[in-house]
Amino acid sequence: MKVLVTVKPVADPNTPPAAWIAEQEGKGGSVNDVANYFDLIAVEQAIRLKDIGVTDICIVSVTDDSKMAQVRSAIAMGANRATLIDPEGKQLGAYQLAASIAHVVKKEEPAFVLMGKQATDDDASQVGPLLAGMLGWPQATFVSEIGFNDDRSRVTVGRETDEGVEVLDVKLPAIITCDLRLNEPRYATLPNLIKSKKAPMERLKFTDLGIEDKPRVTVEAYSLPPGRSGKAKMVADTAELLTTLKDMKLVD
Amino acid sequence: MNILVVAEMQLGKLKPSNRASIRMAQDLAKKDGDSFSMVLLGHQLGDAANELNRFGAKKLFVIDAPEFEHYLAKPLTDAVSNLAREHGFDRIVGCEATTARDFFPRLAGALDAGMCRGVSALCEVNGETCYQRAVFSGMALRTERIHTPIHVMTVDPTTMDDPTEGGAGEVVAFDAGVTVGDEIRFVELRRAKSERPDLSVADRVVGAGRGIKSAEYLETIGALADKLGAAVGATRAVVDAGWLPNEFQVGQTGKAIAPKLYFAIGISGAVQHAAGIRGAKTIVAINKDAEAPIFKIADIGIVADLFDVVPQLIEGL
Ligand SMILES: Cc1cc2nc3c(=O)[nH]c(=O)nc-3n(C[C@H](O)[C@H](O)[C@H](O)COP(=O)(O)OP(=O)(O)OC[C@H]3O[C@@H](n4cnc5c(N)ncnc54)[C@H](O)[C@@H]3O)c2cc1C
Repeated sequence: MKVLVTVKPVADPNTPPAAWIAEQEGKGGSVNDVANYFDLIAVEQAIRLKDIGVTDICIVSVTDDSKMAQVRSAIAMGANRATLIDPEGKQLGAYQLAASIAHVVKKEEPAFVLMGKQATDDDASQVGPLLAGMLGWPQATFVSEIGFNDDRSRVTVGRETDEGVEVLDVKLPAIITCDLRLNEPRYATLPNLIKSKKAPMERLKFTDLGIEDKPRVTVEAYSLPPGRSGKAKMVADTAELLTTLKDMKLVD
Repeated sequence: MNILVVAEMQLGKLKPSNRASIRMAQDLAKKDGDSFSMVLLGHQLGDAANELNRFGAKKLFVIDAPEFEHYLAKPLTDAVSNLAREHGFDRIVGCEATTARDFFPRLAGALDAGMCRGVSALCEVNGETCYQRAVFSGMALRTERIHTPIHVMTVDPTTMDDPTEGGAGEVVAFDAGVTVGDEIRFVELRRAKSERPDLSVADRVVGAGRGIKSAEYLETIGALADKLGAAVGATRAVVDAGWLPNEFQVGQTGKAIAPKLYFAIGISGAVQHAAGIRGAKTIVAINKDAEAPIFKIADIGIVADLFDVVPQLIEGL
């Protein structure tokens, strides 16, 4: 059984927001990249499914060479190979990303695609459902439990929703996006990181894929959110807390 | 502009965050002197359509069919895209919830439209209406512009004002012509029973973090919540430990909430948790570590042992 797993290099979530914005706006600043955490959960899940029939894990990433380390660390967790799509300096939106991945899916014909439920930089959460729609496949997003049925033609998933855990029975092939509680991703060991350099890597160029490159959505500006006061009124004990809450008419 | 609000049901009632979508539609309509319409999807809707029809919409389309008893992405996408095509809607507005977050991107794809997720405000750049949304765990705001003829968006309910009341629109039953195949079947919803207010819209929320040390202490947290008429929320640490189910999680990957009063009890204030409480009016932090980042975003703070403070609060309220 073949599985594709998507991995996006993103800025380290601990980057100060002003530095992140400066980098986004091309005003310099050094930002460390990491692999999107939700994508690592997807990679980990693919590896765990090796016990029950997954034989070929291919990482798909739309990224240029400067972010190879993040893709390698994902391969080193236990994937077999990777397909990279070089954006060639273009700012690609959700549509272009989904269409690029769809190109690989059509060629590889995997049993299913595992993805992170969102990227921790733009928090857009769009590529998974867009890809499912393009392929005409069923989608299961925000998944925190996965189990195969006996003949592996369907999966049962638990989805984390506002109302609770929703259980769906999904026919494969499908797009599955992973939520936090699905698993705890392993760290790549040093020997595996060295070995990952030898993993087969197919390289494609975005402009060769024949995808409309006019962006559907563009970024016009960044700003910092209006900060909270940043100056908490500190109280000494519960009695003072209670009078403060009452004085501010927050409680009766 | 021809604006359509996609209104949803939740556990047999109108979803509270529909109000934010309606407000966004009203604001968009005001910009161009246009009207807006709504569509309500579900099954056995009862009085919900009437309840929804008091905000000045021109038309209220009602899609009431067994296919929509349980939320499923594909039938919803098909129904709304059919309606949008048939009536020429070019602004599709939904609420930021795990339903719309799931099917709106698919809908945008079906309509060849660009989409913005979790829009918190409208703004203008060179005379064009643009959409502002939080990115990077809520630590930055980004202004986005959609270039396709159709714009699709979900709205962040924690930043929107209430919609203004208005007359009722013409109610139109719409036959979505949708079938549900066997690609995907709803099995069940596992949900904890709770008598407390709904976390996503509660005016007061008592948030519990790892500092409470055990699931048992949630009883005391619950007692405080009940004194305040508050909902209970939690950090990822508490949910991961299995002390509370996932629908209680507040933050980047849980719910974003905007109560008038939020108690952060034994919560460190990690950016991913802070992302969910930015809209709270007053944050009260109870933490024994004076250096905890929660004090940087709190309005009232007390450096103390929560196991002393919480029972005293219950006593004193
Ligand atoms: C991709 C990603 C997404 C995430 N999404 C979310 C999310 O949506 N929501 C979320 O909450 N987290 C999320 N997290 C996790 C987040 O980073 C933190 O780990 C988490 O919020 C910490 O929870 P906590 O504050 O309960 O625990 P801790 O950080 O362990 O803090 C416990 C606090 O309790 C205090 N304390 C301990 N004992 C006492 C006492 N007796 N009296 C008073 N205070 C006491 C301590 O001083 C400490 O500050 C996410 C993480 C990642 C990587």
